[in-house]
Amino acid sequence: MWRFTAFEALLGPEDYNPDVTLPVHSSGAGRNAVARNARRSSRSRPAALKGRRGCERRAEGAMWGRLCGSGRILLLAGAARHCGRPHSRTQKLFSTSSVLSATEDEPTAPADSTTKVASKEGAAETPKQKLLKMIGDMKVEVTTKRKFQQLKEQEIKKQATNKQEGLHGGSSTFQNSAEDVQRSKPLNPELVQAASAVASSFPHNKEQAESELLAQLRRHEETTDKQRRGGTINICNVISEMTVKRQSPAQRGVRISNRISLEMDEDGQRIKPGRPSSHSDSGRSLKAGKRLNIFTKASPETENALKTVSSPTIWDLEFAKEIAAVTEQPPRNGFEEMIQWTKEGILWEFPIDNEAGMDDGAEFHEHIFLEKHLKDFPKQGPIRHFMELVICGLSKNPYLSVKQKIEHIEWFRNYFEEKKEFLQEI
Amino acid sequence: MAARRVGVSSWYRVLSLSRRCGRCSSTNTALGKTVENSEGAQEEIVLPRRKTWDKLAVLQTLASTVKRDPTAAHYMFHDDPYLMPKNSATARLFSLSKESGRNAAKYIIKEFPHFFDKILAEPNIPSLMPEICTPQIEGVSEEALRERINLRMVKASVDLFDQLLQAGTSISLETTNSLLDLLCFYGDGESTQEKESEEKEDLEESEVNASEQETPKRPPQRGSHPFASRWRENNNAERIFKIMPERNAHSYCTMIRGMVKHGASAKAYDMYTELLNDRHKADVHTFNALITAVPFLKDRFLERWELIKMFLNHMAQQEVQPNVQTFNAVLKTLRRCGGVGRSMAVPVIKEMEALEIEPSLATYDHLLSIFYRSADLASSGIISEVLDDVEKRSFTPQDPDDAKFFISAMQVCCDLKDIKLAYRLNKAVEKGDNWKFLDMDRLNSYWSRFFSLLCMMEQIDVVLKWYKEMSPSLFYPSPKNILDFLQALDAANHLEMIPSVWEDMKQLGFSKRRDLLEEVLSLMSRDQHPEEIQLAFAKCAEDIKTVHEQSGRDQASVEWTGSALGSVTVLFSRAGRTQDAWSMMERFQQINRIPTDLVMDEFLNCAKQTNSPDEAIKLVKLAASLGLPSSQKLKSRVEKEFKLSENQNARQKELRAAQGKSRH
Repeated sequence: MWRFTAFEALLGPEDYNPDVTLPVHSSGAGRNAVARNARRSSRSRPAALKGRRGCERRAEGAMWGRLCGSGRILLLAGAARHCGRPHSRTQKLFSTSSVLSATEDEPTAPADSTTKVASKEGAAETPKQKLLKMIGDMKVEVTTKRKFQQLKEQEIKKQATNKQEGLHGGSSTFQNSAEDVQRSKPLNPELVQAASAVASSFPHNKEQAESELLAQLRRHEETTDKQRRGGTINICNVISEMTVKRQSPAQRGVRISNRISLEMDEDGQRIKPGRPSSHSDSGRSLKAGKRLNIFTKASPETENALKTVSSPTIWDLEFAKEIAAVTEQPPRNGFEEMIQWTKEGILWEFPIDNEAGMDDGAEFHEHIFLEKHLKDFPKQGPIRHFMELVICGLSKNPYLSVKQKIEHIEWFRNYFEEKKEFLQEI
Repeated sequence: MAARRVGVSSWYRVLSLSRRCGRCSSTNTALGKTVENSEGAQEEIVLPRRKTWDKLAVLQTLASTVKRDPTAAHYMFHDDPYLMPKNSATARLFSLSKESGRNAAKYIIKEFPHFFDKILAEPNIPSLMPEICTPQIEGVSEEALRERINLRMVKASVDLFDQLLQAGTSISLETTNSLLDLLCFYGDGESTQEKESEEKEDLEESEVNASEQETPKRPPQRGSHPFASRWRENNNAERIFKIMPERNAHSYCTMIRGMVKHGASAKAYDMYTELLNDRHKADVHTFNALITAVPFLKDRFLERWELIKMFLNHMAQQEVQPNVQTFNAVLKTLRRCGGVGRSMAVPVIKEMEALEIEPSLATYDHLLSIFYRSADLASSGIISEVLDDVEKRSFTPQDPDDAKFFISAMQVCCDLKDIKLAYRLNKAVEKGDNWKFLDMDRLNSYWSRFFSLLCMMEQIDVVLKWYKEMSPSLFYPSPKNILDFLQALDAANHLEMIPSVWEDMKQLGFSKRRDLLEEVLSLMSRDQHPEEIQLAFAKCAEDIKTVHEQSGRDQASVEWTGSALGSVTVLFSRAGRTQDAWSMMERFQQINRIPTDLVMDEFLNCAKQTNSPDEAIKLVKLAASLGLPSSQKLKSRVEKEFKLSENQNARQKELRAAQGKSRH
């Protein structure tokens, strides 16, 4: 948008082609349209100048043009159109400012030199201040007005640009321009009144006062021009923020930080306004689309070859820990707590098992049922009785292995074999 | 699995029993028949001589029989009824305290093993024994260095390495590499164990100093990187890397990973170019690290994407197969690439599919944040496709970011206000072991989002069902949840539930939150209700009154506001508790507030109903003393509606006279 303002400032005073004012009302969205209009207007400029030559009110228009070229675009629009079309309704507006406009013809040259003199005159002080204040106010009003009107007027404007190729366009354009002026009407009469008040307060030094006024206005023009260049960017920001906010009700829940980081990317460029991209998003799907085509699927052999890795490094260990921590949960009930204890090795393993911790490869029954080792002993009698007691004791002994138990029985067998003679004697 | 095993084996037993005796029993014909029919097939079954059990089978089966008790807090809080958490803050506090108690015990046994001389167990339990943290090998040798590296003693290892170097001993590449691993992982800082001992020294030196340092030096949080020290210029890792006589790919890779981990991305990239110049190949982890560093290397989105693509192409050239973490890293970087990310995310997913790499939950999490981070939330296409995929599979953790998926998915459901999606998501959470991805904090925020969505979108009875189902056992409602719940009750015209909600609020410790109190009071006092409801409301109001008036030793009591006072008065009046209402009326004067007309009207109604003209006169007096414009109206109402005794009439006249005076 501000690209245009530079252009307009260039054209401002001398060439009040009505087209020039049009893009002012176009919003950021219609940036292309602005450029298009600007181009067209520059093309049609010579014709416009020709048509305007001989226009009596040229000087007045120039003054307004200069005045408004900086900050008061709407006024410029009114003035410019007005001078192109002497009998329009807008003329009435300016007719009250006859004093001002009459003296404007030779304004610029002496302006600077007279400024200091004029500023000393106390009589002019209050109306002047009023005027200045109003100018200051106007700037604000115009900018806000611009913001609000943009959208509404954009279409009207487009129509206007289409029709207003030359100076003598159709009557519809005139209506539009009149409308514009009417919109800016609340400002105009005040300005005019103030100006006339200033003029009337200088019965003798009218011209001096006028030129002083003009100088002041020009100074204003310069500063506002500068500020507006900065200002328009600000306005752009304001508008862009407005668009952001307009989207936001849909996503009130999303945290602000998200919103900021999204709307303004780290590049500082703005992502193109959400709407157009959103449409492409809604049509997006995970199923459709092409792959990147960077990798080829590895054959199983190479995969296996890759899998032969050396001992895990500290990176692998810590990564494994981190992954395990993702799904680590405290136990939800007593049994789960027992599972955890079992894994830590704190708890006796379930099902409760007499053989837990005994790893001699022998089975339970081999430990307990030892009668089969008594085949070589007498079937009855005190020795048998004694041996039964021995195996009973052995079957209850958890500390000996099966082999040791058999050796133990073996020892008794040998013993009784050796003592057989003595025993038989008895 | 375990359950099935038990079931099957017992079924065999039944079968074999029935085979033995089934034929002779006439009652068991049906069973006998099936056995006969299938006998041909079952002939092969050989009963094992001995059944080996998984040591967890029985416990797992038993655990699967225990269901969540919706009225109870989490199992970890069952030890001590006094330490039952009331809200999410206390739950967090208590669970952390429990864990830190455990850590303290471990610390003691590790620091002072000589105090524990009766700890021998048969069989020995290694997990209860103190860890050995002191190096056993003395002297200067490569062996000793390796031991110190394994014990993760960063400083000691470096010192020993230097000593060895000075002595002119050559150190093998492998050992140097593992030393580099250690240095790069800890960023040349100290490992946690060493930090602890340092802290202890600080503590001994000066207690003031230590207490200051304690806060920043907290132990690393679970799942996140320990708060890493930054990569310093020419640190030990770089120094050792430079003086290494020979370097292999591993040395480069570990340097790159360390630099990325500790925030020296540009250096990591330079190191990668060095690696290429030395004609080595990087491994997949290094590429993953480099891809995560991309956002710090380039500013523009398109450049970032180009760099990612370059790394991926290098991987293909160097014949490095990507894994799921590679693609997660790509997507994580794409999260920070705005529009480019949105357009490139789908091709990345497609590439994964083509390589038959199963996405992990983190993949989906990144996808959601790429597509739903922007202001535009109109499209629900992506999330429902993601849910399609998630529903089909069960997940094991593969990426540290996996845990974030369910929360962000629920957030998207909330933003889209799509209750159906939320139900689908919740189904997916309950499936298999997926619930494990939500630890306690995440569980709380997941459910609180879900509950808010329910309050917004669902019928009130469904909301109530969910509320009963989840309230203390799954999550503790946040104040916002309660507010949402109250609004849902209001919308569904179920205001009679408010007393029970108030009970819950007291339980949760929200009884002093002014916003909630105001909401409860204004909802209760807004409309006239049937009598029993009014009585219940009045009880509530009394509770709220005590909340305002109790002056605890250390907690400041809530101050009355005009509207709260008015609501309580109205509630008392409507329940016919004239005395209580009057005491509230008096309080208006104490705190310099003015009762609204509605409050005074309600009070007068109450006075009339309970036939207590005294109170009515008192009210008129009060109104007059406050100089309210409505006092005239009240007075005439009192005169009209009450039969005043002589005495009362006199007082009324007095009042009028006083008023007249004050007017003149």
